[in-house]
Amino acid sequence: MVVRDRAWSAWEGPVTPTSRRFLVLTRYALRDVFESRVFLAFYILCLIPSAAALLAIYFSHNTQFLEQFGGVDSWFAKAPDWIFLHLFGWQALPAFLVAVIATPPLIAADIGNNALQVILARPIGRREYVLGKVVVVFILLSPITWMPGLLTFCLQAVLAGGQWTAENLRIAVAFFVGHVVWILVVTMLCLAVSAWIRLTAFSRGALLAIFIISGVAGRLVNGVTRSSIGDLLHLSRAIESVVLRFFGAAPPSGLPAPANWLTLAVVVLGALWVLNLRLRAVQEIK
Amino acid sequence: MQSLTVTPNVRPQVHANVRSSPPLLEIQGLSVRLGGRTILDRLDATINGRIVGLLGPNGAGKTTLVRTLLGYFKPSSGNALVLGHSLATDRRAVCSIIGYMPEDDAFIARMSAVRFVRMMGELSGLPPDAALERTHDALTFVGMGENRYRKVGSFSTGMKQMVKLAQALVHGPRLLLLDEPTNGLDPTARHRMLELIQDIGHEGKTGVLLSSHLLGDVEAVCDEVMILKAGRLAGRCDLASEHEAARTFVDLETLPPKPRFGKRLEDLGCSVEDRGDGRFRAELPSDLEVQAIFSAAADEGLGLRRFERTRDSLQDIFMRVMEDDHGRS
Repeated sequence: MVVRDRAWSAWEGPVTPTSRRFLVLTRYALRDVFESRVFLAFYILCLIPSAAALLAIYFSHNTQFLEQFGGVDSWFAKAPDWIFLHLFGWQALPAFLVAVIATPPLIAADIGNNALQVILARPIGRREYVLGKVVVVFILLSPITWMPGLLTFCLQAVLAGGQWTAENLRIAVAFFVGHVVWILVVTMLCLAVSAWIRLTAFSRGALLAIFIISGVAGRLVNGVTRSSIGDLLHLSRAIESVVLRFFGAAPPSGLPAPANWLTLAVVVLGALWVLNLRLRAVQEIK
Repeated sequence: MQSLTVTPNVRPQVHANVRSSPPLLEIQGLSVRLGGRTILDRLDATINGRIVGLLGPNGAGKTTLVRTLLGYFKPSSGNALVLGHSLATDRRAVCSIIGYMPEDDAFIARMSAVRFVRMMGELSGLPPDAALERTHDALTFVGMGENRYRKVGSFSTGMKQMVKLAQALVHGPRLLLLDEPTNGLDPTARHRMLELIQDIGHEGKTGVLLSSHLLGDVEAVCDEVMILKAGRLAGRCDLASEHEAARTFVDLETLPPKPRFGKRLEDLGCSVEDRGDGRFRAELPSDLEVQAIFSAAADEGLGLRRFERTRDSLQDIFMRVMEDDHGRS
């Protein structure tokens, strides 16, 4: 039988570096997220579009396969062009759903029972706290967005050769930068909603509502003013336009690029304002 | 009359060449304004590694002081040093050596007690393995058995209080800030909590600042008391030395009231406080038999309506400090 001394003693061993302390929050949050088997199953399903793209790229370079399915003029042979044009969109929807499902409790759980006041009593600041949560979403979304995107590009580069790679290097940059911008906007929005609304179901509804309402409002303003000014309110269109410009494709928004960036900047700054307001150990009396 | 010593708000003079290590907590002219109101007003105090009670009426600034020490509120002037680390310039170092148990609920409902306390340990810098080991030590220390694997959200108030204490302790703080730790506890759990606080404080490595409005709790565990009034230190009292002195008091009331009886008690060697209407509090010299007081009363032709041996309680001190302060203002 183990006999424990009832006295309490101070810790005199080494401590972890303060610069990486925020990753503790990330690690615990990720474990919480993947505790749900249903979510894990959904997450795996979200990898299907990327896996399908990889397979399509592979078979588009497989001569035996192409011979059986229509030769070099077949759909499969032209799959890479089509895939790189649409893969972002295929990945964005499931990634957004992952964010909507997984992020609402990230901050709400800490605020719900005032855990923030004991978390922030540790040698960790509010910025590191937010960073720890941002990394959670980034880690969650990366394997279903830019990582398979780059993997698909690499596979195509290996199979198509150096010339194709040199001519289309922009696609790789677009996949990475576009997705990072997209992830950043969605992450900040999700965290702000999580900090604002404590009930998970309402948070999820609010996230969906923000995109739907901003879209409806944007179209409405466009219709009334017979212009594209409403696109300033249309969040999903702004994101799509910014990302498509990276790919060199025509954006759906009629507004110039700075206007689309402005929309995203306002969303991110608004989210930071909400986080600044809500992430306090105790609410100061004004 | 001489009763428990209450020192006024005087900033202690500490000479650098005499001091071998910095005090556990040194508050230097700390002022905090919230919502346009001064909550802490040029507060000065020094605490040196014992169990110190922080007393005061509601709104005196106890919780604000604790929260300011954690960096939640920015001082409008002054500073606080914890083991020489400045709150103004090195909050991170200060928070590394402080453990905080807040007054209200503070937990993540869906986490088990083990995961919650371990995470808090890791946030304070413990390596994961050490954090797990110390989590179990801390939870064992506070008396939590197999329940530690249950989600904290399902715990009773008493168990939640114990988890809060465990998370405050897990990283081995040098200063433990306890804000109303017995809030909502039944008598058994309260007794257990006070025992734990005594164990922590008297083990010697962790100083405790216990903020409470429950005088009984403070008197039961604290060596020293700081009394706050309107954001200022209204008085300090060394309970430990007073308890060691073990002075005995008698509260008595004569019938009919006779103020001159106080002089008679002084002749017997007592220190006397005349409380008016024939009521006196007398500190008895160690060699005086109480029979002598009865005899003196008989000599004066007085009856003793009330005769009660007592010790100067913290409540007396507290009330005196509050009255003094009213008198001053």
